[in-house]
Amino acid sequence: MKPLERLNRAIVFLSAIALLVASCVLTYSVVLRYFSPQPTDWQDEFSVFLLIGVTFMSAAWVQSQRGHIGIEAVATLLPPSADRWRQRLVDVASALFCAFFAWKSWTLLHEAWVEGYVSSSSWSPPLWIPYLTMALGMSLLTLQILVQVFRRP
Amino acid sequence: MSVLQVGVLYGGATLLAMFSGMPIAFALGLVATAFMVAFMPAAALDTVTQNVYEEMSSITLLSIPLFILKGAAIGRSPAGKDLYSALHVWMSRIPGGLGIANVFACALFAAMAGSSPATCSAIGSAGIPEMRQRGYPGGFAAGLIAAGGTLGILLPPSITMILYAVASEQSLGRLFLAGIGPALLLVAFFAGYAAWRYRFETRRARTTRAGGGIDSALLSTESYTLRQRFAALPRVLPFVILLTGVMVALYGGFATPSETAGLGAVLALVLIAVIYDTWRPRQLDPILVNTIRESTMLMMIIGMSLLYSYVMSYLHISQSAAEWIVSMHFSRWVLLAAILVLVVVLGFFLPPVSIILMTAPIILPPLKAAGFDLVWFGVVMTIVMEMGLIHPPVGLNLFVIKNIAPDIPLSDVIWGVLPFVALMMVAVVVLCFAPEIAVWLPDKLITTTR
Repeated sequence: MKPLERLNRAIVFLSAIALLVASCVLTYSVVLRYFSPQPTDWQDEFSVFLLIGVTFMSAAWVQSQRGHIGIEAVATLLPPSADRWRQRLVDVASALFCAFFAWKSWTLLHEAWVEGYVSSSSWSPPLWIPYLTMALGMSLLTLQILVQVFRRP
Repeated sequence: MSVLQVGVLYGGATLLAMFSGMPIAFALGLVATAFMVAFMPAAALDTVTQNVYEEMSSITLLSIPLFILKGAAIGRSPAGKDLYSALHVWMSRIPGGLGIANVFACALFAAMAGSSPATCSAIGSAGIPEMRQRGYPGGFAAGLIAAGGTLGILLPPSITMILYAVASEQSLGRLFLAGIGPALLLVAFFAGYAAWRYRFETRRARTTRAGGGIDSALLSTESYTLRQRFAALPRVLPFVILLTGVMVALYGGFATPSETAGLGAVLALVLIAVIYDTWRPRQLDPILVNTIRESTMLMMIIGMSLLYSYVMSYLHISQSAAEWIVSMHFSRWVLLAAILVLVVVLGFFLPPVSIILMTAPIILPPLKAAGFDLVWFGVVMTIVMEMGLIHPPVGLNLFVIKNIAPDIPLSDVIWGVLPFVALMMVAVVVLCFAPEIAVWLPDKLITTTR
């Protein structure tokens, strides 16, 4: 198995656990409210961090499965040779966008780390945590698309 | 450049990127950032990722993966088959009861799973062979299931409605309740059509038999003993527990709509572990992996759609378009009709998620100015987008049906679906004349405006 593939598998495994943990945390806050109607605030934000992490970190694996859907109506009308070029062009454009987004995520992460940004809630966890998953996830996604561009049959 | 020119360019670039076959998420993100580079100050570019994060980091939006998890857990278990056979046993006495049982099974399952394709494959894989075996035409059976599956985005908890609530800033609790009446109306329409079609087909089968033709399976009757009937009941129980558990938590004030996503997922996983013995990591693996695949794809589209509409409003495209529509002084119903036609056309190509987030800033202000209740419109728009799920070329449900019943020709499926599309249009018209069908329940149950 290639290293990237192995990494993606590991991330999917962790994402699955994160999904289960987020479900349990939200359930816990319902149960808690049933017994004491005091407002609690960390559960929502904790779940947000987990689910943002799941979304961005597993984006590369979804791309490896070609799971990000697009409109294929025109593609099916093209002759196979032209379609190969279209696919390559589309992948390069996707990689460009993802690389830009990844770069801006890293600068955002740097800013949040240096300035010590925290979330505006009363629990106020540091924001570099979700930003880190965005930066890592988008970088991995860019890498994955590039691998697909160059390793074409 | 004038706003009009930028707007036309924005629309053109979007069409080009979309039809190139680029993944929808990246196409929207690319167009948005390209226009940021061209028309916005450089400082705006530095905050692009922060914008996306801030728009996405709402627990309401991020409850979507958990609703998908709940749907996947229920969808992958034999629960759909059990629900279907229990309803079938109970309704076999009614003429056309088999078709009606399928409609009810679809509606109940959709309310549980919250996903159209999952409903189609769960109920359809049991229901379509059964209906065809009993002599129902293949196209009709396929159309019934495809249409029944679409109830999933109308009944709570619907992902489409979550997005509409976020985009229109309406109360999600109200919106969920407002979908129930119209969903029941559609169930009644579909069931009525199934019963009528059954009478029509049996009459034709009798004429064939009287004329010396082959005997149709439609004419044979079957009966179940009382014991058989009650033996089927416990199989429906998990559904009842899950539905009432989540509803009581939500409307009893113990849970916010997003918390019910977590609660529902946990309940669903516990139920399939207890009832269907599905708890080993190997059994849970496909459920979780499919959830991640679907939810990541969807959340990436949502995130980038939010960026897309942020740029559209920064460049004043959405405001100008909305003002322009208002300045045309259409009469209320012309405006509504024009907007619904736009939604139908977009539905040919785009999933409901992107339609809502891309069009909401343009179409909602004129509708509000014209005095429409935006909760009511959310329900109407959802029904119209449901039609997009079952008509070609994208018609997601059609492909699901094609997968579970490959031997029914696609043309039969499409002809079978058309009557249901017509019924949905009738439902939209009925809702225009009687908006109470949608808003009565939320008005009754939610007194304070949240």
